[in-house]
Amino acid sequence: MKKIFGLSHLLFMAVCGLIAQCVFTQCTWAADNSSEQDYLQEFPVVLSASRLSQPLSEAPNAMTVIDRKMIEASGFRSIPDLFKLVPGMYVSYYSGNQAVVSYHGTLSQAAPGMQVLIDGRSVYLPPFNIVNWPLLPITIDDIERIEVIRGPAAASYGENSVHGVINIITRDAGAINGGGISNTRGNKGINDASVHFGKHGEALDYRMTLAYTTDNGYDNLSTPPNGMTLSQAASDINNSYDNNQSRLMNFRASWHPNAMDDFNVQLGFNHDVMGVGFRDSSLDKPHDMPVYENTQQFEWVRRADNTSELSLRYYHIQHDTNENYQVTATGASSYPVSDTIKSERNEIELQHILRTSELNRLVYGAGYRQDWVGVSSFDANKNNLPPYSYASSFNFTEYRVFANDEWRVIPKLIINAGGMLENDVMDNKTFSPRASLNYHFTPQQTIRIDTSVAHRTPSLGEQNANQADLYQIGYLYQPGSNTTSAGLTPEKIVSREIGYLGEFKEWNTSLDLRIFNDQMSNVIYPTPNSALFQNGITADYKGIEASIKHLFGNFSDLIFNCTEEWVKSNDVSLNSGQFSSLENGLPKYIVNLLYSQRLPNDLSFSAAYYFQTSMLGVDRGPEDYQPTHRRVDLRLAQPFNGPNGLKGEISGVVQNLFQTDYTEYVSTALFNRRAFVTLSFRWQ
Amino acid sequence: MLSDSNTPYQTFTNAFRQNLPENIQASVLERAENFSGNNQQADLIVTLGFKAADWVIERTVTPVLAVMIPSTKYVELLGKQTRTRQVSAIYIDQPLARQVDLLHAALPESRSIGMLYSSESPVNLKKLQNELARYSLNLVAKHMQNEESLSSDLEDVLARSDVLLAVPDSKIYSSNNIRNILMSSYRQRIPLVGLSQAYVNAGALCAIFSTPEQFAAQASVMTILFAQTLHLPDPQSPKLYTIAVNQDVARSLSITIKSTELLHLQVEKAGGAP
Repeated sequence: MKKIFGLSHLLFMAVCGLIAQCVFTQCTWAADNSSEQDYLQEFPVVLSASRLSQPLSEAPNAMTVIDRKMIEASGFRSIPDLFKLVPGMYVSYYSGNQAVVSYHGTLSQAAPGMQVLIDGRSVYLPPFNIVNWPLLPITIDDIERIEVIRGPAAASYGENSVHGVINIITRDAGAINGGGISNTRGNKGINDASVHFGKHGEALDYRMTLAYTTDNGYDNLSTPPNGMTLSQAASDINNSYDNNQSRLMNFRASWHPNAMDDFNVQLGFNHDVMGVGFRDSSLDKPHDMPVYENTQQFEWVRRADNTSELSLRYYHIQHDTNENYQVTATGASSYPVSDTIKSERNEIELQHILRTSELNRLVYGAGYRQDWVGVSSFDANKNNLPPYSYASSFNFTEYRVFANDEWRVIPKLIINAGGMLENDVMDNKTFSPRASLNYHFTPQQTIRIDTSVAHRTPSLGEQNANQADLYQIGYLYQPGSNTTSAGLTPEKIVSREIGYLGEFKEWNTSLDLRIFNDQMSNVIYPTPNSALFQNGITADYKGIEASIKHLFGNFSDLIFNCTEEWVKSNDVSLNSGQFSSLENGLPKYIVNLLYSQRLPNDLSFSAAYYFQTSMLGVDRGPEDYQPTHRRVDLRLAQPFNGPNGLKGEISGVVQNLFQTDYTEYVSTALFNRRAFVTLSFRWQ
Repeated sequence: MLSDSNTPYQTFTNAFRQNLPENIQASVLERAENFSGNNQQADLIVTLGFKAADWVIERTVTPVLAVMIPSTKYVELLGKQTRTRQVSAIYIDQPLARQVDLLHAALPESRSIGMLYSSESPVNLKKLQNELARYSLNLVAKHMQNEESLSSDLEDVLARSDVLLAVPDSKIYSSNNIRNILMSSYRQRIPLVGLSQAYVNAGALCAIFSTPEQFAAQASVMTILFAQTLHLPDPQSPKLYTIAVNQDVARSLSITIKSTELLHLQVEKAGGAP
């Protein structure tokens, strides 16, 4: 026996018992490096579903991603401008501090129907359901990337995700280890300064930004626009006051005490002083409007393993606007008016991402939201004087449940189906479903077909309208205490699209094409010559969008977007010619182009071109006609090594290089050439 | 019996015992320090991991098969050996050539291979460079001075690389650091090539490694061979290996990666050859 099997007794030893002992006795072996433990150690799940951005070829909607590289190359210093880089997006300004960011042209300066989220919290706020861009407590440098969904996505993002969704993802708490300072100076009063710092540790990461930004807004128009005579356009001349000054802070921390749980905190604060009013107005003289915004967000994420991710999020947003100004009533002496609008939002959402199999992923959850709005408008003696003279407050709640399933039928075919059931603030019950099919007919080419439904809830401002033209931010048009437009129901959009995505690596080119048809119904509009709103407009939008990215070798790249769009609507017959039309409010072509090049010695150069055909805002008069305009921006940046290991960069930006002065949404806002220089240092 | 049933050692033990014919009697000692060298009747001692091998080699002249031991540690062990006896090993680390074959198979378009290492990393830069040269790949290696400089050193490597290759060094790739490493590399859209299934689960694009079952299969073959010939084969790299891919990460980074089966075939076919 022993001859055949020389081994009669085998002793097998495992080292794990030893290791366990070493932990407690702190024997010298514990310090021994490069053992097999370097291969056998366990790790927490880091890149889980919520941290991974979805590739365009698998997304159930048309999507544009604006990443840091694009943000830097664009040279923009304000967030709304970034959306000029998205196909079909209309970005304009009512005044220097009031951006209009919309898709499908505009319905009004409030750009209703664009859902805007920052790290999952909606900043599309009552009473008018607008996004007040200068109040966001983040700077452009805090942004990691922005995912813009072109088209409705209510099945995932809820009511008001009608025309599109802007999903701003800020830099992770652990993204900065060290700090930096930066200062931007330019003409038009541009003076921005910021400090940021952060640290990542074993169980705690945090980062913080303190920033101050200021500018004098747009230039005054000195000659009549659009070939008008001086008398026709008198109200546009030298009539803009739109300075902006913001002091903001944001803080983000992530505590991960174990391999499974993350606790995230975000705090934000912004004290913004907006210049509002018009020089020729008796009710709304130029004055400063201070707004305070503060935000707290708490989130718990549990990543049990690769198959399950549970998150619970709560946030609170508060806006306080206090406006004191002088009113000169006709035939009366002037008197001071004090207006306030306070709004608060509390929201809680629970979401579970569950991989039910290798081929199937389910996202479901529920959310509850509470909004409170308090308004008051009084003169110094609380006398009953115009404009409104009252105080009131409003409370709304809404709740929702949602589920979306992503099923990879075969590796080439993905089907997404889902929906959201909501009980909105006006107690309307709506269901917004979506279904999409992505077929990779070659590894590099994908066809996407999808259809979805979304709703927009009437805003408090519409339901309790005091006057029809009420979206304006400055000179607080306040919702009245009574419902004036009773019975408003949600607007509805049914969207269908066919998309094509090609990723041609051999040509260093990617192509994203989309043909869409969005049918809106029940659209709310101001009844002519009254302070009421009503449902009734239908609009049929059709369009084609193309987005091309091309790399020229390793050192330069180009992004090119273009859109052509049409609309058919019954609006003209409804508005009795009192307003412009949806057709006029839609630029037929929008083209943009961003070219970046890395030059020797790390010098980087970028150039952008923006083109938009003529349009006239639906709620504007002929003096605000925007002719076709073109704009070229340039940026040059040179990094350098500063003293004591500091890394520095100096960059210069010229916007509207060729001085093709154009007027914005309202012709009092004239955009002409501006330039600024940024010097920044960072350390680790 | 082993004290910790969750570890790969337990899996190895079970698989190893199942692979052995009935006439080979195997007993398991869960703690190496309980081994004194006296009165033991074994013909062959199979040690699992470095510490058990290190303990045993100084206390007995019985032949030793050291399994799942880093190759650099095995060399160290041989240096310590004062008594003559048969000794062999199955390394835990994959041959460099095989790792490079995977890099090429998984990411054929990558040109610059980034690597962050410390003074304790068991890496041979020259050898790695030679292996990479087979596919005209260049190495971007950065020596991490201390743990404080991890972020800046990593940023420096990522800025110059197409892919980050992990090294078996828990001073860098610890469960505390992996979060920052994966988040930073993902931000730069640079994939990490890891060393185990755990790396892939955490968010590495792919990894090549051997499972405890695969080590057990190879160890039982060597044991049976020893039983028949009383001779231990030369130390060897793992013969069987597994390739794991994180498809979610691949998709998110827009990387079209072959299936694990295809990758395995391609790595097998390349076989470390030029």
